Amino acid sequence: MSKVEAILKQLADVAANPKKAMDDYKAETGKGAIGIMPLYAPEELVHATGYLPMGIWGGQKQIAKARTYLPAFACSIMQQIMELQCEGAYDDLAAVLISVPCDTLKCLSQKWKGTSPTIVFTHPQNRPLESANKFLVEEYKIIKTKLEKIVGATITNAAIEESIKVYNENRAVMREFVKVAADYPQVIDPVARHAVFKSRMFMEKSKHTALVRELIDEIKASPVQPWDGKKVILTGILAEPNELLDIFKEFGLAIVADDLAQESRQIRVDVIDGEEGPLYRMAKQWQQFYGCSVATDTKKIRGKMLMDMVSQTGADAVIVCMMKFCDPEEWDYPVYYRQFEEKGIKNLMIEIDQEATAFEQVRTRVQSFVENM
Amino acid sequence: MYTMGIDVGSASSKVVILEDGQHIVAAEVVQVGTGSSGPQRALELAYEKSGLKRADITKLVATGYGRFAFEDADKQISEISCHAKGIFHLVPTARTIIDIGGQDAKAIRLDNRGGVKQFFMNDKCAAGTGRFLDVMARVLETTLDDMAECDAKAEQAASISSTCTVFAESEVISQLSKGVDKNSIIKGVHQSVASKACGLAYRGGLEEDIVMTGGVAKNAGVVRAVERELKKKVIVAPNPQTTGALGAALFAYEEAKKMKKEGLE
Repeated sequence: MSKVEAILKQLADVAANPKKAMDDYKAETGKGAIGIMPLYAPEELVHATGYLPMGIWGGQKQIAKARTYLPAFACSIMQQIMELQCEGAYDDLAAVLISVPCDTLKCLSQKWKGTSPTIVFTHPQNRPLESANKFLVEEYKIIKTKLEKIVGATITNAAIEESIKVYNENRAVMREFVKVAADYPQVIDPVARHAVFKSRMFMEKSKHTALVRELIDEIKASPVQPWDGKKVILTGILAEPNELLDIFKEFGLAIVADDLAQESRQIRVDVIDGEEGPLYRMAKQWQQFYGCSVATDTKKIRGKMLMDMVSQTGADAVIVCMMKFCDPEEWDYPVYYRQFEEKGIKNLMIEIDQEATAFEQVRTRVQSFVENM
Repeated sequence: MYTMGIDVGSASSKVVILEDGQHIVAAEVVQVGTGSSGPQRALELAYEKSGLKRADITKLVATGYGRFAFEDADKQISEISCHAKGIFHLVPTARTIIDIGGQDAKAIRLDNRGGVKQFFMNDKCAAGTGRFLDVMARVLETTLDDMAECDAKAEQAASISSTCTVFAESEVISQLSKGVDKNSIIKGVHQSVASKACGLAYRGGLEEDIVMTGGVAKNAGVVRAVERELKKKVIVAPNPQTTGALGAALFAYEEAKKMKKEGLE
């Protein structure tokens, strides 16, 4: 096994078994883990406690118990999270941090069925205003106080600054990885690419950074090879399960960039340096964030952003990974779809349902799309 | 040169044999699809009709839901590409295709060279497909063949939901128990199928000529309902059940010509 293969396997193992990753962390550090619900949260605050921030992004369960609490039209990812809550999957977490940028998250945050305490906070949506930053600082202060109570220790500004540094480094290395994955699709196929991203949700970020750094250096030691397949950009909340990514692989699609909430949206904007305190700068990160359906954007730049990504990467098309019943994503779609059509950007929408077990329809869509690119 | 296209659908198996990419020497349909004896029987019928055997077929392309399960194919091509190919061959003015098959419905937009500009498919739901009509025919104690005639006799359409086959079935039963005229219910069922399929067509934007294909296009009641919904004339593809297989046979012909040119065969 080459070094590249070994690192990819290590990251894929973490992505496939978050429980083990959490148990290993606990055994190593003596500290616990804190759940981070989709889509965005000030993970740096959790990291500063020494606890492991653990992403909670659903699974592949057959939904039964969740039907008691959620309507059928709640998005697939929340159905999965509710099912897993009901089964006690998150009860080992010291707490769960929940942002509420959509209606389903607002409802779900009020009826958490696990035993871990929840910390619910709100992202301001009138983002250009300075008062939005002030509001979010207050929200972050509340989170900080609650975290301190849960972990039984004070979170110092110095610790937060150190965590911001760790996270900025991880975001930077992941942005570099995206480019490397685009240049070396023979090495980083869609499944491997996703595993590199997913593993960062279950690993202490400086360790993840080190592994990804090593991976990048190893890959770049080889020359870039020509790619005879097609190149695509993914947009949406997430692109799972692996059976879907296998279909992309089967039809020779290289993912040259993404705008997925689970992947590149997490690494899009750093926390800036500056004289202001760390909480304020973290709040500013939300103000500076762009191109996401749950972060209000009155100018609707997502379509332009995606088209710029197409021209920068030389992508042949955009694949919209539409999370089933995600209304914020569905509201954005007609806007950028029209822009794509006007500019002749090839695009395909596929529905993402984490509960899915059959993929024939997706296979037909992807095959047809590739045949007609 | 003979090429073959086989469309292994969910509800039926279709085979077309083409001579030199133009002349159809066999076009056979067996009303059972993937996982059944249908594909083999359709093949045997086509060989019998044409007097050909497998060795005479230069290239064979499989399409349809069961395309990957059909092992004898030289290549598998999606049914969207094949329907587009087949329809454009038959109706070069086609710009929008509405294909309603056994378990899915698709709307395909074509450019003026027959290329697929955009397509939309139904999602994991039998409403608006041939299966929906199957279920309704059973409840209404009629046959698929008789439904168009019944529809023509109806003065108005009963209201039938287009969202779910199971709910629509209970709506039909409810209408029957209220004594609503069976022909009106059938017309309502056709309207329901049409509204679902037209919903897909609207998403891609409508451009004429609009061509209907797939097994359901044989039902004139559904075609009329589609025309009423779209307020536009719809052309029914000749032999609509076999247009996917025809497209596959055309792709097979192109593939064979390419191989010949490259001196590979």
